[in-house]
Amino acid sequence: MKNNFFMPVSFLVIISGLFIGGNVLASSSAVPLAKVDIELNQEAYKRGAKVAIETCNLCHELKYIRYRNLLDIGFTQQEVDGFRGNKSMEEVLAASMTPPLAKKAFGMIPPDLSLMAKARKKGDRYIYTLMTSYHEVADNQYDNKLFPGIRMPDIFALSVETDEKRRAMQDQQIKDVTSFLVWASDPHADTRRTIGTYVIAYLVLLTFLLWLWKRKVWSRLDD
Amino acid sequence: MSNKIVAWIDERFPLTAIIKHEMTEYPVPRNLSYWWNFGFLAMTVLVIQLVSGIFLAMHFKADAGMAFDSVEHIMRNVNYGWLIRYMHSTGASAFFIVIFIHMARTLYYGSYRAPRELMWWTGQVLLIMLMATAFMGYLLPWGQMSYWGAQVITNLFGATPFIGPEVVVWLRGDYSVGDPTISRFFSLHYLMPFLVVGMIVIHLVALHMVKSSNPSGINLAAKDNIPFHPYFTIKDIFSIGVFLIIFSALMFFTPNSFIEADNYIPANPLKTPAHIVPEWYFLPFYAILRAVPDLLGGVVAMVLSLLVFAAMPYLDRSSIPGGARYRPFYRALFYVFAVDVFILAYVGAKPPEGFLVPLGQLATFIYFGLFILLPFLSSKEEKWLIKRGLPPKVQELVDAEVAQRAQHKADRAAKRAARRKK
Repeated sequence: MKNNFFMPVSFLVIISGLFIGGNVLASSSAVPLAKVDIELNQEAYKRGAKVAIETCNLCHELKYIRYRNLLDIGFTQQEVDGFRGNKSMEEVLAASMTPPLAKKAFGMIPPDLSLMAKARKKGDRYIYTLMTSYHEVADNQYDNKLFPGIRMPDIFALSVETDEKRRAMQDQQIKDVTSFLVWASDPHADTRRTIGTYVIAYLVLLTFLLWLWKRKVWSRLDD
Repeated sequence: MSNKIVAWIDERFPLTAIIKHEMTEYPVPRNLSYWWNFGFLAMTVLVIQLVSGIFLAMHFKADAGMAFDSVEHIMRNVNYGWLIRYMHSTGASAFFIVIFIHMARTLYYGSYRAPRELMWWTGQVLLIMLMATAFMGYLLPWGQMSYWGAQVITNLFGATPFIGPEVVVWLRGDYSVGDPTISRFFSLHYLMPFLVVGMIVIHLVALHMVKSSNPSGINLAAKDNIPFHPYFTIKDIFSIGVFLIIFSALMFFTPNSFIEADNYIPANPLKTPAHIVPEWYFLPFYAILRAVPDLLGGVVAMVLSLLVFAAMPYLDRSSIPGGARYRPFYRALFYVFAVDVFILAYVGAKPPEGFLVPLGQLATFIYFGLFILLPFLSSKEEKWLIKRGLPPKVQELVDAEVAQRAQHKADRAAKRAARRKK
């Protein structure tokens, strides 16, 4: 019976090996990503949304987020009206800067942010690390350790800020923006996890009953 | 009343007869372990894929300019679109997990041996069809990995002698992967599952002819067989419950671990990703492709790495029943093979640099080496095991098979002699 024990073990090794091979080991980066825990709740999304709309959204578009979607994270209609001005609720969060202007300023159109948290490996940590990796190379010249040669300026000015209190505040803002971008990349993720918990609880109960039923049916054989 | 209806139908269609033959009186060995549930689970995943796929197709746009946005539209604006889409993308991986376990069970217990060769071969065809379907489906979200994966794989057909470049253009419908490619891949991705269903019918008809193998490898006496219904219907339904728990955990909590981050960047024909990786289930075969320095050689090796399984009924020269269970050498080969596939998957996932290149080549060498070794090792093993003495029941079966083989050989020799006389 020894073999019957080893067989499942070997299968698990193969299957888990394929996963590890496919996902974990494939990722490697020169700069280690900061191990931060990004808050996933409506308060953080809202704080992050405010910063993102007032700063990031000037140059970056959020092309899959419409003003109406902001109601989903708990903004009131008045607050959304404040963000959108005279734009329609159905309009997407286009960048304030027009594409030709952006191209002139940066040499390229800044990428869309609405999928950024999913379009990078460990997206939340990537965004946070990117925003906190600016350093001064010369007077008024910056570079980024994670993304050398980046064309985005150091918006949060962490590279030059020395006041501890303000640094902490800016760090928190970056975390909030990250929270918001995580939400924006998968707006139904919280619903998904909630539903998932119920579905699994239901399935565990159902499967337990099926197991009892299976035992009952098979018990007819034991004589 | 219902009896009357059944009787009415039975006069026109063999309903009761089918239910009897395929369900209530279909004999199944009672000693099957849970490893024998994976065929049924594969069909369950197929149903999940068919249903979720049909709903996805209602909202998806097979157009190079609109495909990426339409997937995001499904994820964000379609009611429960995220559920349908994650179900389909997780289902693809689940399908391969289930199928690989199903195949590993067949290999471990030697279920591919006579008289089940046709089951094994139809299974091989199903695997290849499944791979083709998954590959074409992966292009549809039109992300960077979709695009460049399709570019790389269609390029492989350029290795066809004489007409390589023409074949590649013919497959893509353009000089590079583009709008005509996504339209035809969508069409074929929708068609293939129905062909798969047809192939499964053949697979099952063959199964009901030869019946299930079992862990002992011995053909059981009638008293050790029990009817499929109710015993295996309930066992299969219970295993669906267990499967769905694992599937739901993956789908609801880590659906993006099955999707490369790069695939959330829209396809850009002008920007090659730093590192193009296929989906995890192609990794071992991809590693074999890259292990050979020459393109044609690599493609041939990759195709052979799939087709070589078909030769198993002939490569395995031993008549000791029960597969790896009673055969220590074969068992060792099985585990070496399993570890080797794991190494290949690892190599396939990484850029081909440094020690990974010779490692991939060594693993490829071992992969094929094991198949080449099998005929010699299995016949040596048979002799050794017989010399050591087998359990009487097993000995009986082996004797019967050896006699049958000798008879077969003698028959052929006689036929040949008769022909020569003429």
